Formats: sequence, C-alpha cells, structure tokens
Amino acid sequence: MNIDPITLAVIKNGLDSIVDEVAYTVLRTARSEIVKDVMDYSAAICDAHGNMIAQAKTIALHLGAVPEAMQAIRAQYGDDIHEGDVIILNDPYQGGMHLPDIFMFTPIFFEGALEGYSVVICHHTDVGGRVPGSNASDSTEIFQEGLRLPVLKLYDRSVLNTAVHTIIERNVRVPDRVLGDLKAQRAACHVGAREMVKLISKYGRADARAYFAELLDYAERMAREDIRGWPDGTYHFTDYIDDDGFSDDPIPIVVAITVQGDQLIVDYEGSSPQVKAALNATKSYTNSCSYLSVRCVLNGDVPNNEGIFRCIDVRAPEASVLNPVMPAPCAARALTGYRVMDAMFGALTQIVPDRVPAAGEGGNTVIAIGGYTPDRKPFIIVDMVCGCWGGRPDKDGVDAITNPSQNLSNTPVETLERQHPIRVEDYSLIPDSCGAGEFRGGLGVRRSYRLLAEEAGLQLRSDRTKFAPYGLHGGQPGRKTVNWLEEPDGTRQDLPGKVTMPLTKGQLVVHEQAGAGGFGDPLSRDPENVLADVMDGKLSVRTAEAQYGVILNDMADSVDLKATSQQRHKMQQDGI
Amino acid sequence: MSYRLGVDIGGTFTDIVLYDDKGWADIAKVPSTPDDPGSAVVEGVVSILKKHGIAHGDIEEIVHGTTVGSNTILQKVGAKTALLTTKGFRDVLEIGRIRTPGMFDLTWEKPVQLVTRRHRFEVTERMSAAGEVVTPLDVEALRDVMARVVDERCEAVAICFLHSYANPAHERQARDWIEAEHPDLLVTASCDVLPEMKEYERSSTTVVNAYLLTQMRRYLTRLEQNLKDNGFSAPLLVVNSAGGMMGVGAAKDRPVFAVGSGPAGGVAGAAKLAGATDLGGLVAFDMGGTTAKASIVLNNQPMLINEYEFREGISSPSRFNKGGGYMLKVPAIDVAEVGAGGGSIAWIDDGGMLQVGPASAGADPGPAAYGMGNDRPTVTDANIFLGLIGDTGLAGGTLSINRVLAEKAIRTHVAEPLGLSVEQAALGIRQIANVNMARAIRSVTVERGLDPREMTMMAFGGGGALHAADLAQLLGMSRIIVPAMSGVFCSVGMLSSDVEHKMVRATQGLAEDWSGEQISEIAEALRTDMLALLATEGFAAHQTQVNFGADLRYHGQSSDLTVDIDLMKIASDGGAALQPIFDAAYEAVYGYRDDAPAELVNLRVTGSGIRERKLDFSSLASLRQTEISNPGDIRKVRFGASQGWQEAMVLDRDTVFERAISGPAILTSYDSTIAVPPGARAHSDGCGSVVIDIASETAEVAA
Repeated sequence: MNIDPITLAVIKNGLDSIVDEVAYTVLRTARSEIVKDVMDYSAAICDAHGNMIAQAKTIALHLGAVPEAMQAIRAQYGDDIHEGDVIILNDPYQGGMHLPDIFMFTPIFFEGALEGYSVVICHHTDVGGRVPGSNASDSTEIFQEGLRLPVLKLYDRSVLNTAVHTIIERNVRVPDRVLGDLKAQRAACHVGAREMVKLISKYGRADARAYFAELLDYAERMAREDIRGWPDGTYHFTDYIDDDGFSDDPIPIVVAITVQGDQLIVDYEGSSPQVKAALNATKSYTNSCSYLSVRCVLNGDVPNNEGIFRCIDVRAPEASVLNPVMPAPCAARALTGYRVMDAMFGALTQIVPDRVPAAGEGGNTVIAIGGYTPDRKPFIIVDMVCGCWGGRPDKDGVDAITNPSQNLSNTPVETLERQHPIRVEDYSLIPDSCGAGEFRGGLGVRRSYRLLAEEAGLQLRSDRTKFAPYGLHGGQPGRKTVNWLEEPDGTRQDLPGKVTMPLTKGQLVVHEQAGAGGFGDPLSRDPENVLADVMDGKLSVRTAEAQYGVILNDMADSVDLKATSQQRHKMQQDGI
Repeated sequence: MSYRLGVDIGGTFTDIVLYDDKGWADIAKVPSTPDDPGSAVVEGVVSILKKHGIAHGDIEEIVHGTTVGSNTILQKVGAKTALLTTKGFRDVLEIGRIRTPGMFDLTWEKPVQLVTRRHRFEVTERMSAAGEVVTPLDVEALRDVMARVVDERCEAVAICFLHSYANPAHERQARDWIEAEHPDLLVTASCDVLPEMKEYERSSTTVVNAYLLTQMRRYLTRLEQNLKDNGFSAPLLVVNSAGGMMGVGAAKDRPVFAVGSGPAGGVAGAAKLAGATDLGGLVAFDMGGTTAKASIVLNNQPMLINEYEFREGISSPSRFNKGGGYMLKVPAIDVAEVGAGGGSIAWIDDGGMLQVGPASAGADPGPAAYGMGNDRPTVTDANIFLGLIGDTGLAGGTLSINRVLAEKAIRTHVAEPLGLSVEQAALGIRQIANVNMARAIRSVTVERGLDPREMTMMAFGGGGALHAADLAQLLGMSRIIVPAMSGVFCSVGMLSSDVEHKMVRATQGLAEDWSGEQISEIAEALRTDMLALLATEGFAAHQTQVNFGADLRYHGQSSDLTVDIDLMKIASDGGAALQPIFDAAYEAVYGYRDDAPAELVNLRVTGSGIRERKLDFSSLASLRQTEISNPGDIRKVRFGASQGWQEAMVLDRDTVFERAISGPAILTSYDSTIAVPPGARAHSDGCGSVVIDIASETAEVAA
C-alpha cells in the first residue's frame, strides 16, 4: 500500500489527540491526590498486535513496561479476548512493575475484529500489605507489599467479576479511592476505544492498520538513522546505590552498551544480585529506564512509540536487582530506576558526548512523617523532594527541578503546614553544592521539618550520601546528600540516608539533597559566570577560588583578571 | 453625537475602531510603533477623526488593549525588582513547582528569573498557618535589607511573606515602612494583589506585578498626556486579562491583571455578540500571523481560569505541559494557543514527515509570495496557490502578492522532496495547519467535556474566516459566524465590555462550619472595598453590579472550583448551603460527586461598572463596511482535497446583506477574506455578521 505523508501526519496527530484525551479523562474522574495532583499515571494506545503506537505526556517510565505486560496478557488469554473485557494486573512477576501500579487494558473492536488496546496505568494510593501506601523500601518479600493481582479480567464481556472486586475492596486501606480510581481508568479506556473506532472507521480497517504500522516504522527509522551515526563499540559504566538500609554494602549498577550499526545492546551483567530491601526493579522496569535514557539523547522529535524499542536489546542477569525472582520485594524500585538511568547516561556520554548531561540529584527523596495530633486524629505526611540537573555540554545544569525521568510536582509549604502539625523552616538552594565545571551542575535543595505534635514516626528514603552524582569530561561531582536531626536546643545528630525512627515535639529534621555534577574543566568556565554565581550567593568566594581559580576583588563584585589568570595557570601546573 | 474608540496594538498593525452610538463604525489600521506604542495610537486616532471631521472633544471614551505588559515580560525590560521573603524562603520563586513542560528534553531551561537571587532578601518574621505571629517582624533587619536594595539600585520591591493570606499584618507593616522611608520605590505587597494560599503562585504573581510597574506606568502616563495634548479629555480604559475593563489608575497599580490584555478584547466581544444573537455555546477562534487561539463562550460568558502560565513562545494545547512560564494567579480568559498562523512555515522533518510551524515568517519578511526575502512556503502561500486568497492583495491591497513565488516555494521545499504535485503539497500544508488548529479547539472543548458539534464557531483575526469552514468540518461543527470587522475584532470587542474588577479573601475550614453571619461579614467588607474602587472610576452605586463567588473543594483536595453564590441565601442558610451547590458544580465538571464535606477556600467578589453606551452588536445590523463595487469575478479555487478546482464567485462581503450566497464563493473586505466552500450557504444575522452553514456531514474524527 502507498503511504501518503499527509495522511500519516494527520493520523499521528489524531492519535496524539486521542491519547491526550484518555489521559485527561483520568485526571477528571480519578479520586486520589496521587493521580490528580502528583499525576502519577500514564496512558497509551496499542495496535492489534499489542505494539504501543501512541502515549500521552504523562509518566514516561511507566510506558516502556507496556510490551511485557502485553506479552503476559497474550500468554494468558491468547484469542480469548472480547468486546467489553477489562484486563488488569499489578504482579511484578507477571507483567507488572510494583504493586501500587495497576495496569488496565481494554481491547478495541471495530466491526467485530480486534484492532488495538487502550492502556491506562495508575499508581494507587494503597494496595494493602504491611505499610500504609504499600510503598515501603524496608519490606523483605513481596508478600509484605500488598495484594498481588495476576493477569485477570475485572470485566468479562462487560460483566463485573464481583469476586475480584470484593477481594480488592477487602484488602486495601482506602477502598473508595482505589475502586474510584479503577473506575476512572475504565472510563478513560472507554474514551480511547470510542475515539479509535471513529478514527479507524474514517480511514477503513486496512488503511488504518497500514498507517499504524508505518508510524512504528517511522519512529524506528528515525532512531536507527541516528544510531547508525554513533561509533561502533562497547561502552561501560558503573554507578552505585548507597545501600539497601539493611546492610552497608553498596549496590552496583553495571551497564555495557554495545553499538552495532543501527542496533543497541544494553547489558547489565555484573550488577548487584537482588537485594533484601524493596529496591528490586523488574526486568520490564529496567527495560523502560533503558529505553527512556536512549530516547532522551535521540535527536529530533521522534514519536513516542514502540518503534524505538525495536532498536534496543536489553539484557539483565536473572535474580539480579534489575531482574529479580520471587519473592524479592519491589515497592521502592523507583530509586533503582533512577540509578539505571544515571548508569545509562554515563555510558551514553562516551558515545554521544555532546548530548548527555552530568548526573543529577539521583532521584527524589521520600520523607514520611506520621502520628497523631493533640486531639488524637491521625496524620500522614508523604513529601517528595527533588532535584537538580547536571551540567550539560553547552550550558549549566538546572537548579531545583524534577528528575527528567518523572515529571512530579512539589507540595506548597503553606498547604503542608495548613494540613499537618509541622513547620517547614527552610526550603532553599544549597550554596556550593553544585559540581564545578565549565558548565556547573544544578544546586541541591534543602528542606527541613519541625514537628509540632507530641510525637511521630519518621521514614526517610534518600540516597547519594556515599556516592556523589558524577561529573563528566573534567567536571567535578556534586555534593553528597546530608541528613541530620536538630534538637530544640540546637544540638545536632547525623542521620543516615535511609532511616526509620521516632520523633518528638520540637525536633527538626533537615534534608540536604545532593547537588548535580559539573560538565567540562572548571578552569575553562567563564569567570564572569563564576562572579554572577558569587553575587547571587550560589557560590562562596572561597569556592570560586578553590574550584574555579577565579579571584575576585575585595568587594566581590568584579573579577581580578590578572590574579585569576595566574591562579588558573598555577592550578593547571599543579594538576599536571 | 458622541463617539468612542477601541484601540488594539498588534505586532504589525495598530487597529482602531471608531464607533458612534447609532451603529455606525469605521476602521483604521496604522503601522505599530514598538519603541513608543502610544504614538501609533495617537497618530491613528487623529487621522481617523480627521477623515470624518469629528472633533476630539466629541470622543467620550477610549478603550485600549495593550501588549505592553506581555512585551515587558517577553523582552525582560521591566523594573529592576527586589523580593522580600520570610527567612528560609529566599528561593521559593526560583524553585517554583519543579515540573518541566515537555518530556525527553535534556536541553530545557527554566524561564529567566525576573528577580535574580542577589535581589531576593530574607527578613526575620513568621506567621503560622492559622495567622498567629510566631516571630514578629524585625524592623531593624528590614532596615538593613532595604539599605542593600537601595545600594543595588532596585526600582521596585515585591513583598511576599509566608501565610500572609491568613494574616497580612507583617506584609502591611513592611510595606508601610518602606513607603514612608523610601518614597521613590514602587512597592507591591502580596496581600494587596493576591491574598491566597500557595507561596509560589503568590510570590510569582506579586513579582510580576512589581516588575511591570515602571513600564506600565510610564506607558500609560505618556499615552494619557499625549492624548490630552491633542485635545482629548475622554477617560482611558484598559482591557484586563479576563476581558473586562479597568480604569487607567487601577492598571497602573495592578498591571499584572492586564498581561493578557491584547487578545482578551476579541473573546469579550464574542461573548457580547453571543448574547445579542442568542447563539448558545461558542468557540471563539482567532487566527493571526503566528498563532491561532481558541477559547470558549458559554451562557454568553467567556470561560475564565484563575491561574495560568505566561510563557515565551507557544503554549501547547496539551493540558499536561506545565512549568514553562511565569505563573500568574489572576483571572484570565482560558485561551489555548498553537503555533499555526498565516505566516507559519511548512518544512520536512528528518523522518520525512511534513510539518507546519511553529516557526513563522511573521509579517516581515512574510510569506514567500510577498517577495520580501523569505523563500520558504507558509500557510498563506498555500492559500494563495489554492486561490483562496486572490492576487489583488491583502489588507485592502496594501501588500502585493506574487502567486508564482508562492508556487515556487511550495514546489522546492515540500512538493519535490515528498514526490507530490504542488497542488497536493499545498493542500497538505493547509490540512496540517488545520489539524494543529483543531487541537487547540479540542483542548478547550473535548478535553473540558464540551462537545464542539453542539457549538457555533466564531471566526476572527486575519486568517480566521479562511480556515473556519475546514475546522468546522474537522470537528463536526455546522455553523460559523464571522462577525463585523472580523479582521480587527479585538478592537470591536473591547468597545462592548463593562468595567470589571475582582477581589478575593482567603477563608479556612469546612463550609458547614461557617455561619451565615460570618460569610456575609466578609462579603460585605469585600462589597465596600469594591464599591469604593468603582467609585474612583466614576461609577455611582446604581451603575454597578456586584456578584459573589466561592472557591470550594472536597476536604483534603488541593485544587478548587469557583461557584457563584447567592449571598442572601447563604446569609440565611449558613455555609452548609454551599455543599449541594458545590456537589452539583463538581459533578458537572468531573463527572462524579464525592461524599466528602466541602472546604471553603476563598470568597470572591466581581464588581462591574456598567457603561451605558458601550457597543451594542444589534446596532450593527445596518453597518456596511464597503460600497459594493465588485459584481462578482469568477476565480478558480481549490477548497479541499475531496473537491477538485471549483469556479468560485468572488464577492464583496456586504453582498451577503442583499442576498444569501451559496458556496463555492469567496467574500472579501478590507480586513479579511471569507471562504464559503461548496455546499455551504452564507447569510447575514441581525448584527452585521456573516453566518455560514456547513452542509451537514457525518462528524469526522477531529484529528
């Protein structure tokens, strides 16, 4: 069949528009804050073969896992899929990622034949288990983490499976929200199916199929075109997670990217065996992180579909932290995903050095504080702190920003204080925390919490307290994460990266997140930019001199060019 | 006889509409003067009055839509501004809400900070969330900080302390101290602009206000003086972002409310025209040279939002792309904008796909057919090749057109690389531009749960009427209205609006815990402040209208919904009466209702000063823009891919007032061109508009 480039563009925009509408329907109808405010959900459309042909601008890291989920569904049901079916799953050992993420697929039928699937993945507020929120990093087996849903039909030909429905209802802490969000997922999937049927009927079955296939080929073609220009070879990088909170052992993430013509092989051989804590990332999540890392460095506006995945072959040793086996817990696998991306970027910079930034903060910190107010009402604060971007090949990193693999928001201090017995005393950038470089890293963020209630429990999950975010091409690493506890009298006690402990009234928890790495030789940085950072209080005069060899005049408002030139020369000599 | 003037400053032209109160109007377009935008205004106004022999003293009112606010931000030429914050929160403005507008883009940058870190100062003070003083304001610390502000030669100071919405005492104390000690500094305290919760949104809005003060004051003062020097004594009104008017004094104090002044007039006009002709739901579609904008009018009111991001470049129609601009939490017309306009350039991407925009050839050098230095094809070039625009010229013939250059550009850059005929390529360019523009419309309709098929499209702006029929077909819409003077409709619209102000007061707790007396006490205080403000603009109490609203949400939620309230009823029934009103409004928007109690977040008041002789669209029934001189040339036109070349009548727009016209036809006037495709019929309404009914077809997928 002849592909008309105009019709192709019209259909591509049509699919983007449909999948946005699916995502918007979730937002409109969901019940929980994590979906509506934090926007931890995603939406996609697959073709009849289960290939993802369009995805909404939501959580990118969910979507690379769709192919494995699709495979699990096909293995389970084969051709036994009918109009009105609603298929769900969350089991990391059968197509899922971690238990809170419930995948939903509804088949799209046109004139009696299967033409595709609507897909919506939502992070649910709670799926049972030993800890509220079902998301703790200190579980040691999946059985502690909540309700496992194998691939199953929640609706069979539009008839609700009441047994499954009741089991969900009985096993989660907030059934209204969970069942409400499932309804939202179903409503959104229906919108996708309805709009897809309109689109297919407009172009006819044969043409629609041909154009969907061409869209995948188009993305693959663009990706391969780019990769073909990369130098063949194998490129290694290793990064680390501090520890799993049970032992002090670092957790290595080892990657080797092999470029073979227009194909990439990503191999995680040598990475840590699976760990006791819930940091284990399923193979599907490892795939997703690998795809996303590559997608971020591709040139041009490559459509967001499975065509790109075809160019990337991901391998991870069985029973490793990147491909765990039963009964490894998985709830906090997000942290591992962040480090997979850091390792991928570390290898990719050897291939396309002009496209990859130095390491950022290393993933958001989760701070949970729970207890009771004076009138014995329970409160739970779940706050996320992120982040900063590393220095880039042609410009500085970004201060205070979401990790690029997610797109999360922050909670306003005024909202937090209004709802909970807590006072945030500081939310600011940390001077001198950025890795030095010709293009410096982003500054880390400090956030502190003073407890106003009598007592509470603290659960803090942070990382990069032992392994700083790396710099690239001569750039320096960013400053490591630091946590401490301050008593009302001002005395301090250091806290580890991952900690669960009681708090009493008046204690202040301070989290200083890691700063990002720098890019390029700090001695090449324009002294005027160093001056600007000093004047903005982002760098101290001492750091300007020690790391950049920039000497300022006594007023610290202009550069002493002569002294700077001498200092830099001296530092270069000493460096050799 | 009395007259009023509507003036809209655009990137290329300054549009002026002169209107009397008997239904007569005339248009002038003069080149804009970006260095001193007011000089084009005065020049244009003087010349149109001279043309008609009207004395300057007979002008009763001058209404003005200005892009000075938006340009000041875009060009970063605002006041050197300092920001005073609570200790520990110096970086709230820069940290923001930490989202990025796109995905996969590692080259993204945050918008440039309007206040750099060196000009953000911490002051020792602290309020609790309940509005209790935790740490008193340290005046000595304030004195030290202000000495540095002066050293840094800042011109304006923004103050935003934590929880000032709950207790503004510290902000007021600091403001008053600064105004007394440093009378030459311009000061904005957040409690005076936006007394609402959420520190980033409030800081950003306050900072933008302070940042705009110098430019806006300078511009408006100069314009006022210039008009006065030319013998005008009429009051000057400024269009605000929500499409209402504000007095020039209010615009000088709170310029942040007028950042969206430019495009708001057109939507406000669409709403008034909808009211005059009883149109029901309306999609206002405004297509210019660089972008196309879509917004919604329901129940004769523009759809408003309470916060938006003002950004550089193009705002995407996707609702998921936040984080790219300056957060302004002020009421504004909800506008979706895409980078598709007449000047948008067509190009082929690396994967061999045809793309249109967002790069634009603008008006200078303009489309390839202008022959002014651009050889790449634009949407206008496609329209010229397809015969939709004739070669006699645009803007009443002031710009000349060379069809050969248009054809060459399309052939070289699109047709040959893709192996298409020039005709297929031109149709493709048009089609892709249409699909992009349809996305803007979808984002304000389908994504809000509104069905465009039940709505009428009102098309204006230079290119609106040329693409409206295609968009209508794409979205399954069957009726288009092209209003009188559609090419300068923003100026027309602003003549039809009332003066309008909004004020807000933060509240706390569940709605049911508020007594009727407590609510009416706050409401009456708001009413008093509002009437005082309107009185300064010359409106006596009987010329005003005051309406109340409440921002509500389910307990524990973080975003709220505004509902209108009947104060008398709430005063007698208490806050519990808000619950059913909110439940119903929530269900209408989100499709379900929760069983949680409603929280009362803010009380709002909207005050209008009724302008008794504003433009009334029904008076335009007999307005004729041109003498009918064109008996109807025949031109070959290609309206769409599914129809071949058609012989279309080319008629003066005013012909439609004589008789109904069947497509294929092209209607032309000084300010715009209207395409009436085959099968469509055009007739007039009672308000000077051209109504086009599209042959009913099955609703197509709005791709």
